[in-house]
Amino acid sequence: MILWILIAAMTAAAALSILVPLAHTRAEEPAEDVQTADEAVYRQQLEEVERDLDRGLIDPAAAEAARTEIARRLLAAHERGQNGRKSAESKSSLRTAQVIAVAVLPMFALGLYLFLGAPGMPDQPLSARMTAPAEDQSVDVLVARVEKHLAENPEDGQGWVVVAPVYMQLGKPEQAAQAYANAIRLLGRRDDWEANLGEALTVANDGIVNVAAREAFERAIALEPEAIKPRFFLALALGQEGKTEAAIAAWQDLLEGADPREAWVASAVSSLERLGGTVPEMGDGLRGPDQEQMAAASQMMPEDRQQMIEGMVAGLDARLKSDGGSADEWAQLMRAQVVLGNEDAAREAFELAQAAFEGDEEALASINDAAREFGIIKSN
Amino acid sequence: MIVELGHYALVLTFALTLIQSTVPLWGAVREDDRLMAIAPPVSIAMFFLVLISFAALTIAYVTSDFSVVNVWENSHSAKPMLFKITGVWGNHEGSLLLWVLILVFFGALVAYFGSNMPSPLRAATLAVQGWVTAGFVLFMLATSNPFNRIPSAPIEGNDLNPILQDIGLAIHPPLLYVGYVGFSITFSFAVAALILGRIDAAWARWVRPWTLLAWAFLTLGIAMGSYWAYYELGWGGWWFWDPVENASFMPWLAGTALLHSAIVMEKRDALKVWTVLLAIFTFSLSLLGTFLVRSGVLTSVHAFATDPARGVFILVLLCLFIGGSLSLYAWRAPLLKQGGLFSPISREGALVLNNLFLSAATAAVLVGTLYPLALDAITGEKISVGEPFFNLTFGPLMVPLLMAIPFGPVLAWKRGDLLAAAERLYAGFGIAILAVLFTFWLWGMERVLAPIGVGLGVWVMAGAICEIWTRVKPREVGLKRAFERLKGLPGAAWGTATAHFGVGVTVLGIVTASAFQDEYVQTMKPGDTVNLSGYAVTFDGVAPRRGANFIEDVGHFTVRQSGVVIAEMEPSKRLYTARQFPTTEAGIHTVGFSQIYLSMGEGRPNGAIDVRVYFKPLVTLIWIGCVIMAIGAVFSMADRRLRVGAPKPSAKRSPQPSATPAE
Repeated sequence: MILWILIAAMTAAAALSILVPLAHTRAEEPAEDVQTADEAVYRQQLEEVERDLDRGLIDPAAAEAARTEIARRLLAAHERGQNGRKSAESKSSLRTAQVIAVAVLPMFALGLYLFLGAPGMPDQPLSARMTAPAEDQSVDVLVARVEKHLAENPEDGQGWVVVAPVYMQLGKPEQAAQAYANAIRLLGRRDDWEANLGEALTVANDGIVNVAAREAFERAIALEPEAIKPRFFLALALGQEGKTEAAIAAWQDLLEGADPREAWVASAVSSLERLGGTVPEMGDGLRGPDQEQMAAASQMMPEDRQQMIEGMVAGLDARLKSDGGSADEWAQLMRAQVVLGNEDAAREAFELAQAAFEGDEEALASINDAAREFGIIKSN
Repeated sequence: MIVELGHYALVLTFALTLIQSTVPLWGAVREDDRLMAIAPPVSIAMFFLVLISFAALTIAYVTSDFSVVNVWENSHSAKPMLFKITGVWGNHEGSLLLWVLILVFFGALVAYFGSNMPSPLRAATLAVQGWVTAGFVLFMLATSNPFNRIPSAPIEGNDLNPILQDIGLAIHPPLLYVGYVGFSITFSFAVAALILGRIDAAWARWVRPWTLLAWAFLTLGIAMGSYWAYYELGWGGWWFWDPVENASFMPWLAGTALLHSAIVMEKRDALKVWTVLLAIFTFSLSLLGTFLVRSGVLTSVHAFATDPARGVFILVLLCLFIGGSLSLYAWRAPLLKQGGLFSPISREGALVLNNLFLSAATAAVLVGTLYPLALDAITGEKISVGEPFFNLTFGPLMVPLLMAIPFGPVLAWKRGDLLAAAERLYAGFGIAILAVLFTFWLWGMERVLAPIGVGLGVWVMAGAICEIWTRVKPREVGLKRAFERLKGLPGAAWGTATAHFGVGVTVLGIVTASAFQDEYVQTMKPGDTVNLSGYAVTFDGVAPRRGANFIEDVGHFTVRQSGVVIAEMEPSKRLYTARQFPTTEAGIHTVGFSQIYLSMGEGRPNGAIDVRVYFKPLVTLIWIGCVIMAIGAVFSMADRRLRVGAPKPSAKRSPQPSATPAE
C-alpha cells in the first residue's frame, strides 16, 4: 500500500512539474526576448571592462579597444532585435500539453511499470531473509541460516545434528560427515550418529567403505550391537575386501529373521546372492514395497530411487528363481522388468513362469494375460 | 518496496524524457513561452527521480538484497562495505544508471543556472539533453534493467570481479563518466543552436565552462585509469594504446580542441560553426567510447559487459545520435553566421593551429582503434595496432603542437606579432636549451631524441611561466605592484598557464620514464641482488599470506643505496579464491618523483622467481602533470567574468615595450 501511495506521489510531482509552468501566464515585460538577452550579455561585458579598468587590470588603450569591439557586437544584436518576435501561444498546444501531463504521463508510466516491474515483491535484504519464519523458506535458505549460525557458534553440537541429515539429502556427503563428526566431538558418542557418519563417509567415497568409515561403524556396534545399519555396511565392507566367507556369514547373520519389508533387505539379499550365499529364513510379510518404502522412495533423489527399485526387483527376481512363487508374483516381476526397460529379463521371467506353472491352466492364463498386457508377447 | 520504488522512478523518468524531448522543442519552434517553460522544472524532476532510483539500487547493494538480479550477480554479503557501494557502478547496468544520473544532473544544472539564457535556447538545449536521456533510459529498461528481480532470493551473491575491488578502479568510472557526460551539454547546446538556426551570445558563454568541467574530470579519469593499469597489471607500463584507453582518449583530444576553439568563439565571436561541429564530434566520440566498452566488441579487462543484443541496441543509438546530429549540421550550419576575422598570426590563428593538430591526432587514434575492429569484422583477421603505429602517427603530430603551445597565449588577438611574442619567450627557450644540455651531460650522447624530448617538456613548462611573467611585468612596475598584478590576473590566465605547465610536466615524465628507464627481467634466487641506477635490490624470499578474500605469494625485497637500506618492498601474486582469479600487485617505492617498480612472475621449484625490476625516473610526473592540468581547468572555470577578446591597439600608436627576459 505504501508503495502505491509513494508511486502516486511521485507521479503527481512529475505531472505538476509540467502543469505548473504551463499554468503561468506569459511574463508581462518582454525582457526575456532572445535578442535583448544578447544585448544584456554585451551590456554586462561593457560594465566589466569599466571595472577592470578601475582596478588597473587593463590599460586604457586595451579598454578602449575592448569597448569598441563590444559596441560593434551590441549594435549588431540591437539591429537583430528590431525585428523582434511575439510569443505565439496557441490554446490547442497548451491543452495537448496539459492532457499529456494529467492523463498520458501517469498511464504510460504505470502501464510500463506494471509490464516491467514486480510491485508485489518485497525487498529481501540479507537480514530479512535470515530472520524470516522457517516455514516460508526453501531448504537452501534454512541451511544457509544454520551455516551462518554455526559459523558464529561452531561449538553448538545440536546445530550440527540438525544440519547433518539435510546435507545428506542435498547430496553433500562430505559436509554431512563433517557435521556428524562435529556433533560426536561436541555431544559425545551415539550409535546412530556414528553409523550415519560411516554412511556419509561411504557415500562420499563412491560406495566403498574405507578405514575411517569402518571404524565409525565398529564404534556404533560397540555402542549398540544389534543396530542394523553398521552391521549392513560392515558386511558390505567384508565383501568389498574380498573376504567372501566372512561376508556371507555377516549377511546371513543380518538377514536371519529380518522383516523382508525393510528397505535394506532387498539389497542385502542381492549382495548375499552375488557372493554365492544362501538367503536364510526371514520373517513373514507381504512381498513388495510397503507404504513406508513407497513413501521413502518418493522422497528420494531420482538416482537413489532408481537404485532402490532395482535392488528390490533384483531381490524378487532372485527369490522367485530359487524358491518359486505365485503367478501374481511372477506377473509383478515381469511388470517391474518391463518398467525398468529390461525386455530380455522380462521375457526370461515369462518363460520361467510358463515352465513353473506347466499344467496349471488358470495360472498360465493369468501369466499370458499379464505378458500380453506388458507387451512381452504380441496380443493376438 | 524500495527496489520497486526505484524501478518505478526510472520508468517515470523515461515517460518524462519523452515529454521533455518534444514539448519544449515544439514550444521553441513555435515560440510558445508556456511550452518552453516546462523544460527546467521537468529537468529538475527527472534529476530527483533518477536520484531516487540510484539510491534504491545502492540500498539494495548495501543490504545485500539478492532478490535483485544485478545485486546478486555483482555483490556478496561478505564484501567490505566500500566495495558494496562501489559495486553499484562496477557492472554494466549500474554504471549505466550512474551515467544517466550524471546526464540528468547536468540537465538540472543547466535548468538551474540557465535563467539568464534566452528561453528558446534553454528549452531546445534541455530537449536535446532529453533525447540523449531517453535513449539511455530506454536502453536500460529494454536490455539492461538493474531492477530485474528473482522471486526467491539466492542466499549468496557472485561477488564483484576481483580486479575491480580496488579503490583506484572504484573512483575511475565516475570521473570518466562526469567527463563523457559533461560533453553531452555542449552537444545539446550545439544541436539546439542548429535547430534554432542561431548562435546567441549566451551560447558562446556557456560552452567554455561546461567543456572545462567535463575536460577536467576526463583528464583525472584517464590519469587515474592509467595509474591503476600501472600498479595493477604488473607490466610496468602506464599506457597501452588499448582500445578502451583510446575510447577515453579520443573525446579528451577532441574536447581539448573544443575547449580552445570555444575560447575563440567566446572572446572573438569567430569559429562558431567549427565549434558546433567539434562539440558534436566530442560527444560522438564519448558515445563511441561507451559503445566500444559497453557492447563488448572488445575483449579486454574493461569489457566486463558482453552481450550482443545490447551491442546492437547501443549501435543503433550511436548511429541515431551521431548520424542525426551530423545531418542536422549539414542542413543547418550554413544558416549560422560566421563571426570576426583575424590574421593567421594571432591568438585565434594559434588556436586554429592547435585545433588542426588535435583533430589530426584524434583521427590518428580513431583509425588506430577502429581499423583492427573493422578488419576483424570484415575479414576475420585479428591484428593489433599498438605502440609503433601510434608512435609514428600520434607522436609526430604532438611535437609541433608542443613547440607551438607557449606562443599561443603571448600572441595578441586578431593580429599578433610573432617576433614580439618570441621576444617574450627568450627566457623559456634558454631554459629549455639548458635542460637539453644538462640531459646530454647526465645520460651521455647515445640517445639523441630523448634529451630533445626533455627540452620540449621544459620548453612548455618554461613558456607557461614566461606568459605569467610578461603579463605581470615585474621589471617595469616594481615588485610590490607586480605582486598586486599577479593577484589580479584573471582566472583564465592562471588557468591557461597552469594547464600548459601541466602538459609540460606530463611530457617531461613521459620522456624520462620511457627513455631513461632501467629494466631488468631475470630469475632471482633468494639472496640475489640486481643493481640498477645506483640502487641495489636484493631478493630475500617468498612467503604465502592470506587476505580477506584472497591468498597471495608475497616476495620480500630490500632496496639499498650505497649500502644503506632505504626501502623494503613486497610485490605479490594474488589469487581471489571465490572466482579463482589471479592478480598481480606490483611493489612500488617512490624516490622523489621517480619510482622503483617490482613485479613478480612465475615461481621456480628451487625457490627462485622471475622478477621484473624497473627504475623509472620521474615517472610520477606523468600523473602529477594531469592533476596540474585539471587544476588549471578549475582556475579557468572560476573565472566568471564576461570575457571579450579585443585586438591590441595598433602597434604604431603605442609601441610594444620590449619585454627583455630577466635571466
